[in-house]
Amino acid sequence: MPEVLKAPLVVEFPFTRSLGPVQSAFLTGLRERVVLGVRTGDGRVLVPPVEYDPVTAEEIRDLTEVAPTGTVTTWAWNHSPRRGQPLDTPFAWVLVRLDGADTALLHALDAPGPDTVHTGMRVRVRWAAERTGAITDIACFEPYDGDPTSPGDHTGEFEEPVTGIVAPARLDYTYSPGRAQSDYIAALSGRRTVGERCPSCRKVYVPPRGACPTCGVATSEQVEVGPRGTVTTFCIVNIKARNLDIEVPYVYGHIALDGADLALHGRIAGIPNDEVRMGLRVEPVWTEGARYPDHYRPTGEPDADYDTYKELL
Amino acid sequence: MTREGVEDVRDIAVVAFAQTDHRRTSGELSEVEMLMPVLHEVLQATGLKTADIGFTCSGSSDYLAGRAFSFTMALDGVGAWPPISESHVEMDGAWALYEAWTKLLTGDADTALVYSYGKSSPGSVRDVLTRQLDPYYVAPLWPDSVALAALQAQALIDAGETDEPALAGVAARSRASASANSHAQLSGAVPHGDYLVRPLRRGDCPPIGDGAAAVILAAGERARELCPRPAWIRGIDHRIEAHGLGLRDLTDSPSARLAAEKAGALERPVDTAELHAPFTSQEVILRKALRLDDEVTVNPSGGALAANPVMAAGLIRIGEAAARIHRGESDRALAHATSGPCLQQNLVAVLEGES
Repeated sequence: MPEVLKAPLVVEFPFTRSLGPVQSAFLTGLRERVVLGVRTGDGRVLVPPVEYDPVTAEEIRDLTEVAPTGTVTTWAWNHSPRRGQPLDTPFAWVLVRLDGADTALLHALDAPGPDTVHTGMRVRVRWAAERTGAITDIACFEPYDGDPTSPGDHTGEFEEPVTGIVAPARLDYTYSPGRAQSDYIAALSGRRTVGERCPSCRKVYVPPRGACPTCGVATSEQVEVGPRGTVTTFCIVNIKARNLDIEVPYVYGHIALDGADLALHGRIAGIPNDEVRMGLRVEPVWTEGARYPDHYRPTGEPDADYDTYKELL
Repeated sequence: MTREGVEDVRDIAVVAFAQTDHRRTSGELSEVEMLMPVLHEVLQATGLKTADIGFTCSGSSDYLAGRAFSFTMALDGVGAWPPISESHVEMDGAWALYEAWTKLLTGDADTALVYSYGKSSPGSVRDVLTRQLDPYYVAPLWPDSVALAALQAQALIDAGETDEPALAGVAARSRASASANSHAQLSGAVPHGDYLVRPLRRGDCPPIGDGAAAVILAAGERARELCPRPAWIRGIDHRIEAHGLGLRDLTDSPSARLAAEKAGALERPVDTAELHAPFTSQEVILRKALRLDDEVTVNPSGGALAANPVMAAGLIRIGEAAARIHRGESDRALAHATSGPCLQQNLVAVLEGES
């Protein structure tokens, strides 16, 4: 068995999310250094505020300002901050009930060490220098031994309220393709295409994924297929893909390699686009150092009879 | 819900269960390669073939391994052609089992295959799980799963309901029990270790690993044909709490208690409970919420502290409870699964064997 193949894989999205009226007021407030809560039907003040009462599901819109000072309701000391977290030096995660609120907000507390933190301690907001209308406009909390500050009486009406946030998300993985695909990729680097046969229905899958999707059993018998094959169907691509260095238009086809019971995908070149056809016989073209064929080109053989590939469309 | 008050309702049982050995990494296997042996094991145990299965339901999350539509690849392992009756939940497999149970209740199928799998090794599961949080107020801070559990543990300590030595005791008992579980990733005497996020030490946290599990459900006489002592599902229910952590009393689990009530778990004592408590502090909360006293054998498998393949660990609790009934080691067992941060969502099933 060849070594387990590994490759870095980064999944990264900038999620663009729109805000409801309460979320918009809260996040706009943070931009303006104002913390807003929302009052429920039974008079509780929720911070951070939500659009609907979590108990009754009633729509709630009654915004009320709370103080930037509050009390820690629980905490946890984070010895080694991770990427994206509010501080890059050790800090405490805290739930803070701000003065005037009945519920607690999750954030970070900048404190010298775990021995300086306890439930019930008083803290206040440390504002970020640059604020955009996001939860990170609160840089963190910091210990506070002054008097409680009275909240203002902001109503939640702002000039130029934020209506959305862009939340970048990035996750890093180490991708491994598994046993069957590793074998396939290893053989391909030696310019051989090796599929696997189902022990039950005898079909040969290329590329193999380790299981026969019809029978639900493991495939393991390796079968070299090709190198030649037949175009079973194709399309002409007119839109240039990002990060793909191929001039449009080009032909992309399904190619059933000789001996395979599943067609694979490949680019077809070496022939005018309008002459590519179902049944065309093709062979792979390798470039120096490549781990897979660059494209497929006509072999010059007569076209395959439709009956030989009609089950592979 | 329970069967009470429902006319002509069918009895449904877990008739087979299998799980992989759970390991830190399974890099040499794709997801379907990891999953297939457990699928074959439950089919062999019952003598069923793929084509005999009335309904197939799975649970997994593409975020774990970072592979889009990985559950469709996993379907290769069940032989999904010609097209089968199939569904998937982006949740722990315990919720897939819940869906399969309701499908069998309707009478549309007599047997169901339920499976789930998780490969945490390709990514960083502590960070991956932040992506399930409120995207406006919480996810941008990237609070990882251990940090959130630690906030809950501290609240529990502050409330005087536990302390660090008691939590270490939960960890030690779980890993000692796991010595009898050949599938466990962590068993025996395991050092409790340093703080990961204080007050939780490494030993208070589940091992990170890869694994899969499968269960077969069958209705009525079919269950008796397939298994000498079926584990009858007497009730099953799941409930959820508000997503705002600061809205909840983190020292309690009203959703677990309500699910247990609705599943009929509190009507009579159980002899065994398999609790899905990835963190030691969560076992303390669940014991209280589910009113489990010292007479109950809790997590004889070692629980999620011994092996925690994310998306499968809840289904494994149901499978472990059922397997004890199959073996005659339990007559009435509670199985619990959780989802989300700090026990946000909870499922409870009551399983019984016939004497």
